Amino acid sequence: MKFIGLVLKSARRSKRRTFLTVVSVAIAVFLYASLRAVLDGFNAGAEASSSTRLITQRSTSLMFSMPTSHTEAIKATPGVQDVAWANWFGGIYKDPQNFFAQFAIDPESYLRLYPEILLTPEDRRAFLEDRTGTIVGDGLAKRFGFKVGDKITLQVGIPVYGIEDFDFTVRGIYRTGGNAVDNQSMWFHWKYADERSVAPGQVGWYVAEISNPDQAAQVSAAIDRKFENSPNETKTMTEQAFQSTFVSMFGNMNLLLGSISLAVVITTLFVAGNTMAMSVRERTTEIAVMRTLGFPSATIFLLIAGEGLLMAIVGGLLGVGLAWWLVNPDFLQVGAFIPVFGVNSTNVVMALGLSVVIGVLAGLIPATMAARLRIVDALRRVA
Amino acid sequence: MALIELRDVTKSYKRDAIDIPVLERVSIAVDAGDFLGLMGPSGSGKSTLLNLLAGIDRPTHGSIRIGDTEISSLSERALAGWRARHIGFIFQLYNLIPVLTAFENVELPLLLTQLSKKQRRDHVMTALGIVGLGEREKHYPRQLSGGQEQRVAIARAVVTDPTLLLADEPTGDLDAKSAGEVLTLLQRLNQEFKKTIVMVTHDPHAAERATHLLHLEKGTLVEQTALGR
Repeated sequence: MKFIGLVLKSARRSKRRTFLTVVSVAIAVFLYASLRAVLDGFNAGAEASSSTRLITQRSTSLMFSMPTSHTEAIKATPGVQDVAWANWFGGIYKDPQNFFAQFAIDPESYLRLYPEILLTPEDRRAFLEDRTGTIVGDGLAKRFGFKVGDKITLQVGIPVYGIEDFDFTVRGIYRTGGNAVDNQSMWFHWKYADERSVAPGQVGWYVAEISNPDQAAQVSAAIDRKFENSPNETKTMTEQAFQSTFVSMFGNMNLLLGSISLAVVITTLFVAGNTMAMSVRERTTEIAVMRTLGFPSATIFLLIAGEGLLMAIVGGLLGVGLAWWLVNPDFLQVGAFIPVFGVNSTNVVMALGLSVVIGVLAGLIPATMAARLRIVDALRRVA
Repeated sequence: MALIELRDVTKSYKRDAIDIPVLERVSIAVDAGDFLGLMGPSGSGKSTLLNLLAGIDRPTHGSIRIGDTEISSLSERALAGWRARHIGFIFQLYNLIPVLTAFENVELPLLLTQLSKKQRRDHVMTALGIVGLGEREKHYPRQLSGGQEQRVAIARAVVTDPTLLLADEPTGDLDAKSAGEVLTLLQRLNQEFKKTIVMVTHDPHAAERATHLLHLEKGTLVEQTALGR
């Protein structure tokens, strides 16, 4: 403890240099925590997916739709207990920048299959009874100030839904009971969208509930076999695989974001290491004096390494704090793309751990240099 | 028994595989309470001899005993501990740590001891009092004159109450007045506090303050004088 004052004083020796080193570590840790939050957000949906829900989409791409006639065929597949369906709506709320996900769903079956969508019984009933009713996530409601009873108008974003605006009434604000559903979306009646579609009777994807998750592969294959050699062949997969496919539409996110993080961290490591080495070189005589006074090499090593560690931890705390403050759905509003978005506690621990690693590695060489210094040579350099 | 005993000490440095002798078969004995002045021209080996006594350099041959300890056989780690307990070193250029106050500079060697914060404070204030800078404890080196810096450095050297005080040209960077004050202080430490001092100097006026003088030339001892104080 008595050496901490010494470490603090040394760190304040060149305030500008210390500040810049701390900032460089803070930026690296901020980027790491932010990119980790994005990756975690993408993966959280897949990890939280239900093992008893299968998703059926067109075999070619999620971009293409299927006829509603598939519903009964899927429902009749052995192992399937229930079926729901949904379409991506892609409407515009006032301005394209106000992006959020809107889904046209078969409300009864969808709410049955997704118990994670938590509604009060009154809101649920009101939504089911109103063909133009909608439910919005509490995150989305907070973002735009939506309340039950509000009118929402969406401009058409995908030409298949015509050219006229769609008017909705907010009938409920849902909370989420798991990461498979985000709280930044808007859900409304599929029939309302379908009746104004230029190609009615089309479904974006089906959700099938199965009784035994161990039979997911067989049931998926059985569903797809039913539509083989038809104009609307399907591809059925578990919800988890579907979520992963969705993520993969953005490319190999893990590799891309991981590479960026790694490059930033390595660069920072060199910057911090070089700064520390420079600082040690400037203090050669002081270190020699301390050794002359009887400071053992090990203590000198710990003092220098401790200084690097201190700067890295301060930078790490700043970076994590900044990420915690900025990277959340309320601030960045990307929740529609990333279901569960934000810096979580694991992320904080990992980012702080990273700053410690940067501090230790950056201080290692300068601290070794200082500890191995030959006193007589160091004193002679100046004298 | 002498406090310091050097027997046949030889020191040479290697430069590109060539041995450069700096000290050759030097044998001296210094009694406790002596104030020894080491004189000689540049390159005569004075500072090397002082470094050997301080345990910050090792002899090529020969032995160095200080008190009961044969320091030439100690490991690096043991030597560091020994220096902390037995040596107070005064440099020509003071070598105070610029980011530390006078108090913190003097406290530095005490951080290696088991003393409590209060005990450390008492020791530091006593040392600063001895050098006449008790009221400058919060001043940084840049806020002190050269003479005051050197007095703080002397306080740092004596704060652990070492067996031996070693001074390498302690007045070499000072004006005549400050040099006189520093030398008076060293003399007082020797006479009043019975500190054994070995001082390297070029300055004959400084050498006059010593009780014994050793003259080195080209690494060998050429003259030994007792000044009889």
